[in-house]
Parts: sequence; structure tokens; C-alpha cells
Amino acid sequence: MKLIFNNLTIGLTTLLLSFMVETGFAQRAPTAQDSLNDRITALEQQAFLQKRGEDHFMVTGLATLGFVTNKTTTTIGGISTIKRSSTFGNADTYEFSPMMLWKHGDKFLMEFEPSFNNDGLSVNWADVSYFVTPGLIIRGGYMVIPFGIYNKRLAAGWIDKLATDPIGLDIPVSADYGFEVMGGLPLGDMKWSYDVGVFNGMQLLPDGELQGAGITDNNINKTFSGRIGILPLSNSALEFGVSALTGKVEDEGSAYPNTRANMYAFDMNFIQPIKPFSVNIKAQYNIMNVNRANYINPNDSTQLYSYNNHSTSAFAQISVRPAFLNNKLKNFEIAYRYASSITPAMSAWGQNETQSTVGIAYWINWRTVLKVSREIINTNSTVNQAIVPYTGISNSNSWYIQFSIQL
Amino acid sequence: MKTLNKKNIIGILVSLIGILLFLSINGCFVSKKVAAKSGVQLWAENCQRCHNMPSPATFSPDQWEIVGMHMQTRAQLTDKEREKIVDFLKQ
Repeated sequence: MKLIFNNLTIGLTTLLLSFMVETGFAQRAPTAQDSLNDRITALEQQAFLQKRGEDHFMVTGLATLGFVTNKTTTTIGGISTIKRSSTFGNADTYEFSPMMLWKHGDKFLMEFEPSFNNDGLSVNWADVSYFVTPGLIIRGGYMVIPFGIYNKRLAAGWIDKLATDPIGLDIPVSADYGFEVMGGLPLGDMKWSYDVGVFNGMQLLPDGELQGAGITDNNINKTFSGRIGILPLSNSALEFGVSALTGKVEDEGSAYPNTRANMYAFDMNFIQPIKPFSVNIKAQYNIMNVNRANYINPNDSTQLYSYNNHSTSAFAQISVRPAFLNNKLKNFEIAYRYASSITPAMSAWGQNETQSTVGIAYWINWRTVLKVSREIINTNSTVNQAIVPYTGISNSNSWYIQFSIQL
Repeated sequence: MKTLNKKNIIGILVSLIGILLFLSINGCFVSKKVAAKSGVQLWAENCQRCHNMPSPATFSPDQWEIVGMHMQTRAQLTDKEREKIVDFLKQ
């Protein structure tokens, strides 16, 4: 009996000790060192989960919204008519364009920018860039073609100092499918850049206008476009650019075989501090030529008509900002732009147009701006009156209030 | 004025690019003054060609790497310029 009791005592004691060890009752109290070790282990785990990796993604882009009120007076044969309008959304006052950027390693960059505006939902660009070597980038996909500086660099609402775009600069094929090579290279104290590409190109409409957006490429012809920029000052304050574009424009089976469009552009950008001001001058001049062709008279399909299909457009802009002041005035910037667009006389769409725009911008921060602009556009129709009705002389007077932000 | 044809245009472009490439590669030089420029100086000089100078606090270091590549394709920065500007903005 005593033996059984002893064995039972030993068994119970063993069981109790096991329980104490299991439950930690027998452990020593945690020390500061233990706590530190636990913290280090947790941080190591956290660091492992957040390691940098090679691929990165971000969303940026822009949003522009505003209001425009307009009064247009049209005079035909001495009789004037007046139209008034006011609207919150149009091409110049509303746009929402988130831009997605993917960086794969150090060599690849993917860009995609859908855009919602007055014309609906569209895509500004969707392309892949391969950074081959210093001074050489190859890009393919759907992109803004290299021609001038306005469309590629200055059109965004949070960059443009005025609420509207200059007239006539939006060439028929501002974005297209294709490939381009580009790069920036040093040249002593100067530097230069090149951007040359091959694209699907444009099509000639039955009235001689060119169409670039939303077309199906149904021929073997391709359009070449390129720009070379020179920055002659070591501080990059001055840039000159020259651009050229050439390509056949006939649609498959069209009546305009071998018709070609040739375009040229000359641009400049200059920024100079004249303390306490910062002065910026930008300009671009476009020339567009399409080979002479015979077009079918829309009123009588047995008759043809022709004209010199030559267009020009240009803008010059100056802006002044007291950027070197130490008070709120440094956030204001005034800008003035004069633009001109001349489309072919004696065509069905010819007109001479001038645009004067003046405005003040208040920079809420470096990428957020509130703008008030006043714009006057004078248009004088030069159409062939045997083909289409004369649209007279018009004067358009608009006020814009616009807010724009980079997302 | 005689209208330039396709051959003229491509010839002019190719010639210009050839001459400038030759000068860049054969000369293979960046002047000491340009080479010595800091990231902050290049940031101030190049960004404001088109827009206001961005605040370094706007994006994270990883995001500045992406923005740097994007801006190189827009403004045709040289590789050294991009590298120095991004290094400055990441600080």
C-alpha cells in the first residue's frame, strides 16, 4: 500500500512539474533583453515583407475643371447674329486623366493615360519605353508623336499658364501607333536632344482635310516624324527645336494616290530671371502642306475643284511671375498669348483665325493652379463659296475660370 | 519656295542627327562646368523649362525613380541629369 502511495506521489509530482513547464509557470520573468530581441525579430520580419523589389507602380495624372462664358457675333452680308453660352464642361475646361506608370527594373517603363473629357472617354497614350543605353530610349505603342513642343510638353492644364490651347497647333495626328527613338545628349556646355519615329499616319478626307484620330490603317505607307532640340546655354534656359513630318495620306482605293503631307515646326522656349520676376517666353510655328489634288464637288459629283492645300499656325506666349518675392504675390503669374491659324483659301473649310488670350494664374502649390483667362478669337471665312456656304466673319469673346491639379 | 519632298526632309533630319551624334560621341564630352552641376541645380534649371519645380516631398523615393524615367522621355534629359535630379529629390 505504501509503495502504491509513493508511486502515486511521484506520478502526481511529475505531472504537476510537466504542467508547470508547459504553462510557463516555471519560466523566469522576461527581461529587457528578451523584449529587445522580440522587437528586433518583428522588425526583421517587417523589413523582409517590405523589401524594395525591382518593379514599381504609381498613379499620377491630372484633373482640370472650370467654367466658360462666351459671346459670339457672326456677320454675314452685313447682318449680325449674336449667340451666348455658358458651360461648366468643354474641351478647355474639363478633363480627368489619371496616368498609370509601371517601372520594370531600370530598363522598362510603361505609361498609360486614359482621359475623360467633353469628347468622352479616350486614351492619350499607352506605350512601353526601353532605356537601352545612355542617350537612347526606344518606345513603342500609342504615343504623342514628336512634332513641336506644345502637345508633348505644355498642353497639360497644370502646366499651361492659360485656360485654353493655342489654335491650330493640334495637328491631325497628334497621337498615333508606332515606334520612336529618342534621347538627350551633352555637347560641351550645351546639350541636344532627338526624337524620331515612324507611325501609321493620316488619311485625306474628300474635302482635302487630314484625319488622324480613330482611323484604321489600311495601307503600307507610314509617316515619319521627328524633332531635334538644341539647348545652347549651359543652364538649359533656352531651347530651339525643329520638327518635320512626312507621309502619304491616301486611304486604300482612294482617288488621291501618292498624295503626301509634309509638315514642319519651329519652336523655342526661354526662361530668364529678371529679379524679382521670372520671365518665360514660348513659341511655335507650324507649316502643313498637302500635295495638290482634285476633290469632288459635293454639290455636283461630276465636277472637280482644287486649291493650294497649305496651312500655317503659330503662337507666341509670354508669362511673368514675381517668383523671387517673399510674400503671396510670388504665387501669381500673368500670361499673354497670341496665336494665328490660316487654313487653305478656296477650300470647303478655309479660314483665317487669330486668338488673343490674357490671363492670371494663382499657383496654390507647384502643381495646383487656379486660372482666370479672357480670350478673343476673330475668324474670317475664306471658303470656296461655290462649294459650301460662306460662314462670314465672327468674333468670339470668352471668359474662363479654370482649376487644374496634377494628381 | 520649292516644297521639300520626303527625301529632303529625311535627309535633313538624318544629317542633323548624324552631325550632332558625331559631335557628342567623337567629342564625347561634357564640359567641367556642366559635369560639376549638383542635383539641386539641375532640378532648378530643367524642371522649370516646362513647369514649376516639384517639391521633393511630393513623392516617395521609389516614386521619384518612376517619375524620373517618365520625365526623361518627356523632356529628353540626359541620363546624368536624370540620375542627379532623382537623387536630390529622393533625399
